[in-house]
Amino acid sequence: MSFVLSPRTVEEAVGLLAELPDALPMSGGASLVAMKNARLIEASHFVSLAGIASLHGITATDTGLRIGGMTRHAQLAACDLLTGDLSMLRQAAGQIANRVVRNMGTIGGAVGNADPAADYLAVLACGDAHVELTGTEGSRLVAMTDYVTDWYETLREPGEIVTAIHLPAARPVPSVYRKLCRVPGDYATASVACASDGDGVRVAVGACGHGPIRSREAEAALRGNLRDPVAIAAFGAALADLADPVDDVRGTSEFRLRLIPRMVAAAISDLEGKR
Amino acid sequence: MHLEGEFTVAAPRLTVWQAVHDPALLARCVPGCEEAAQIGENSYRAVVKAKVGPISARFTLVVDIVEEEAPDRLRIKAQGEEGSRASMLTAESELALSDDGDGRTRVTWASDVNLSGRLGKYGLGLMKKKAESLSAEFVTAFSRRVETGEVVE
Repeated sequence: MSFVLSPRTVEEAVGLLAELPDALPMSGGASLVAMKNARLIEASHFVSLAGIASLHGITATDTGLRIGGMTRHAQLAACDLLTGDLSMLRQAAGQIANRVVRNMGTIGGAVGNADPAADYLAVLACGDAHVELTGTEGSRLVAMTDYVTDWYETLREPGEIVTAIHLPAARPVPSVYRKLCRVPGDYATASVACASDGDGVRVAVGACGHGPIRSREAEAALRGNLRDPVAIAAFGAALADLADPVDDVRGTSEFRLRLIPRMVAAAISDLEGKR
Repeated sequence: MHLEGEFTVAAPRLTVWQAVHDPALLARCVPGCEEAAQIGENSYRAVVKAKVGPISARFTLVVDIVEEEAPDRLRIKAQGEEGSRASMLTAESELALSDDGDGRTRVTWASDVNLSGRLGKYGLGLMKKKAESLSAEFVTAFSRRVETGEVVE
């Protein structure tokens, strides 16, 4: 049996997690409760973050946007602040699972769980997002491109919670999230987030390794060559080289490696069409 | 799930052969191994904890050497379950040792692992990645301990 605790502040929540070694933080519970029901996880207590006011909502900051960890997928899918190069986040949120899950699930929970096939990681890596992690020692920011360290392993220490996601302010240039999945709402077989950046692009590939794949080197080489199919193919191949996909029901590793250059080229072409 | 690999150890074949029969040494090389003991002439018992993200499992394994040709080849069967009997694991592995020149030994291994029960529901693709990284950790630890002469007996 597990108990649910409902702290009212972040300090209280991280205090409980520090005190109870077998407790787990719970935000929306969309994945966590399903995993608990399948007896995949055990916890003495679930520390619910739902009642902590400071974790809810999206606010403009001096540098951009702060998205509270308890912000639901459905709120992001309908958020008017996510325009231009941040519209890919809105697109990704709207493609997660189904309406029930989008009403329950949160960005903090999804980032905390760090499922490699889930939709946010690629978008946040592409969008130069930072993850705000809070523990009893206080808060720290880590770049999304550094955050995932192995399969379901991240820089988040046990006892820390994802209190917010920070994004730079939206710029008025197009962005796109492309997801290949077996049926709408499935986890991605492969995904690509792509945002315009002057005469270049920022691109991150999802679901093809333990974390999102991004190469600033390859992006620099592509700069100024967005109309050159050879340069785009080389860019896609460079990202595929960094991938380490699994073989699973959604596709073989080989299939995913072939998808990457095609999906990257398609995403770049989407952006060219939106200019 | 099929896994295979090979690695070389900078130690003679006989030393490596002794090392793969030494439960105390192996216990210190297997990631997550909490205890290991010899329970019969060719039989060992081990408790191994594994973790993938929020999911963790503690298996009690019985490992039997079912065939061996010293100091070349070894066939091992492992069987075990979680404490709560929620998952079963069986593995059949083969290990071959050969001289690699300069007192080095090449170890070639292959393993077929089956997982059923609650953990069987979890993606095998991911389990394979995890198993591969655990294997790599084992190889590093094993080579280092054998090469620095840390063979217990």
